[in-house]
This record gives sequence, C-alpha cells and structure tokens, in this order.
Amino acid sequence: MNSPLESATLFQIGPVAITQAIVTTWVIMVVLVVGAYLLTRKLSLHPSKRQVALELLVDSLDTQIRETTGAQPAPYRGFIGTLFMFILVANWSSLIPGVEPPTAKLETDAALALLVFFSVIWFGVRGSGVGGYLRSFAAPNPVMIPLNMLESVTRVFSMFVRLFGNVMSGVFVIGIVASLAGLLVPIPLMALDLLTGLVQAYIFAVLAMVFIAAAVEEGAHAPAAPDPETLSKKKDS
Amino acid sequence: MNFDFWGLGLQALNAVILIWLLSRVFWRPVSAAIARRQAAAQALLGDAKATQDKADAALAELTAARAGIAAERAKVLAEANDAALAIKADAQSEAHTQAEAIMASARSDMAREADTARAAMTAQAGELAVDIARKLLGALPDEAIQAAFLQKLTDAIGALPPQDRAALVGAKGIDLMCPADPNADTKTEITKAVQQALGDAVDLNFVTDPALIAGYELHCDHFVLHNSWRSDLAAVLKELRHAD
Repeated sequence: MNSPLESATLFQIGPVAITQAIVTTWVIMVVLVVGAYLLTRKLSLHPSKRQVALELLVDSLDTQIRETTGAQPAPYRGFIGTLFMFILVANWSSLIPGVEPPTAKLETDAALALLVFFSVIWFGVRGSGVGGYLRSFAAPNPVMIPLNMLESVTRVFSMFVRLFGNVMSGVFVIGIVASLAGLLVPIPLMALDLLTGLVQAYIFAVLAMVFIAAAVEEGAHAPAAPDPETLSKKKDS
Repeated sequence: MNFDFWGLGLQALNAVILIWLLSRVFWRPVSAAIARRQAAAQALLGDAKATQDKADAALAELTAARAGIAAERAKVLAEANDAALAIKADAQSEAHTQAEAIMASARSDMAREADTARAAMTAQAGELAVDIARKLLGALPDEAIQAAFLQKLTDAIGALPPQDRAALVGAKGIDLMCPADPNADTKTEITKAVQQALGDAVDLNFVTDPALIAGYELHCDHFVLHNSWRSDLAAVLKELRHAD
C-alpha cells in the first residue's frame, strides 16, 4: 500500500507532473459540467421532477447563504455551491474502486483553501473597498492587526488540513481494512465515509461562506480613520 | 512527503475553471429559471389579486344593488300599505256614511210606520170606543137619555147669542135630528121645549139619523147645533188624535 501523502505521477507536461488526483479532478469536472449542462437544458415554467430537484438544490443553497450571511445569495452562489459540489463529488469518488479522491491529496485541498483565502480578499474588497477591507484587520482595535492577519491565514490553513485529514484518513483506513479483512468488511466504513464526505463538504462550504461574510461585514462596520481636523481640535484643547 | 506546487496551481486553476463553468451552465440557468417561475407566480398572483379585487368590487356593487332593491321593496311595501290603509279608511268612511244613511232612512221609515200604525190604532181605538160607547149606551134607557139630551139642547139654545138665536128663529125649515123616530107625544114635547128655549114658534122637521146614537141636533142652512153622542164621541176622538 502506498503512502497517502505520496502522489503517483501518471505523466508529465513540461515541468508539471500530472498526478492521478489531477486526472480525477478533470474527470469530475467533465462529469459535473456535462451533467449540469444536460440537466439544465430544458428548464421551463412548468417544471419536471428533475427541474424541481435542481431548483430545490439551488434554493436550499440560497437559503443557507442567506441565513449565514444575511445578504443576497447571488454573488456567492457560484463559488460556494461549486466548492460544495466539487468536494462532495470528490469525496464520494472514493466509492469507485480504484479511484482515489482528489481531496485526499494535499495539493487539491490546499488549492481549494487558497481559493477561499483569495475569495475572502476579493469579496471583502468588493464589498467595502480596499480601505474598508484593510480596516477590518483593525477591528476591534489596531492592536489586533497582527493577530487578525495571522488568523486570516491560519483559519484557511485549518480548513484545508481538516478536509485533508478527514478524507485521507477515511481512504487510508478503508485501504488498510480492505487489505486485511477482505472484500465486504470495509462496506460499513465506506458508508461512514459517505457521511464524512458529505459533512466535510458542508463544513468547508459553510466555513468559506462564514469567512467571506465576516470580511464583508467587518469591512462595512470597521471604524473609520480619524478626521485630521478633529485631531487638531483635540490637541488644542 | 513532498508538496507539488505545480499540482497546487493546476488544481487551483481547475477549481477556478470549474467554478466559472458551473456558474454558466448550472447556477445561473437554474437561478434564472427560479426567478422566471417566481415572476410568473407573482404575475399569476397579481392577476388573481386583480381578479379578486374585481370580484370584490362586483360583490360590493351587487350588495349595494341588493340593498337598494331591498330599500325600494320596503318603500313600495310601505306605499302599498299606506294606499291600502287609505282605501280601507275611505271604504270604512263610505260604509259608515252609507250605514248612517240606511239607519237614518230606516229610522225615518220606522217613525213613519210607527206614526201610521199609531194613527191607525188611534182610529181603531176611537172607532172601538165609539162602538163600545154605542153598545153601552144602547143598554141604557132611551127615555132618560133623550130627556137629558133634550134638557141639554134647550140649555145650549139658551146659551146662544141673541143674533144666533134670532137667525135660528128666522130660518126656514129647521131639521131636528133624532136617533129614532119619536112618537107624536115626544115630538110635541120636543117641539114645545125648543120653542120655549127659542122664545118663538118654529116649525121643526124631525129627521131620523141612527148615527147620532143618542141626543138631538138642530140643523138649518147656515147653522148646526150639535147635541148627540156622535158629536161628543167625535170631539173626544179629535181630542185623542190631537193629544198624540
């Protein structure tokens, strides 16, 4: 059995080593995009059961975003929803024999966490401007600036480590049990892995949403820079 | 353990591409479909609201019209009731007037019939009294009655004014009415008494009239001296009639 921390390179494109996780990611991307295209081809005012199910999925996501952030879900729907669906499908891809989920690799989880990190910055700046976003690090007072900057990195790091640890451990345990006990014994663990995959996808998406919402909200309510005229009056008095 | 930064970048690129693709082929179409259906539902709700408002307005108009009809019905009923009461009052008044007229006519007829009946009864009573008197007098002795009437006749002649007595004496043919034909002695006695009362000799013509019942009367062309039961009963009967 190979180490779960090692990635097997399938082929090389220039300096880029194409691993199995990357190929699986491409397959998942194709499945998701083609499936989404096929599912959304004939949307009408008189919905079929398929359309109702799709609308229920989107409406549930919108409700979740609205309840988490209190904002309109449209700007965040694509990012958060795609994160959730990709992580969920990637986690559940471990059920296919011979397929190792991409989220069980450090690079994939780190890439997703990196996207969350930059999306927090992007939505924060878009919501309250560069100044407002930078001032959000000074909340509740400037003393907290180093800690807030450190937190913005560590919380994303914890996200990716959490996802990686859970998915990788599940795959690792199932591999060990399958190699020791036989074909049917890992089935309960695989069922548990289904639940773990769903929960981890949900946690990752919700945390990303919370981080983005916090950046937007703190930027909007961050203390404004003191007025120079007011400062001069204070000095005079 | 080694960390592949190229892999990191490629996976990040893959995620960005996936986010972009799914936004275009999944999230936007589905959310647009939801928005279209919500808009259609809102339009349907708006149409339903407009229809309901129109129905409410029609209902209110109908309710007002029905209230108007009820008020008009009540007004017509009140007018009909008033008209019926007026007709009833007129009919009652007319009936009362007619009844009063009928009652007055009946009273008048009854009074007239009562007067007629009373007059007839009075006449019958008078006739009955005369008949009774005649029968009673018929039972009395004629001599005494005739003597009393002869005395009464002489007294009446004596009580006449002188010019009447003179006119009586000067009359040609004086009828002396008797209830029965007197005998010769009686005629002589009567003639003698009358001549004494007149104070002169007169020629008496004795005429029998049973209707006198009793008594003697003198009749000439211009003078009548009543002195009989018939004249007395006639006077009584006249008095009775005048008494009514």
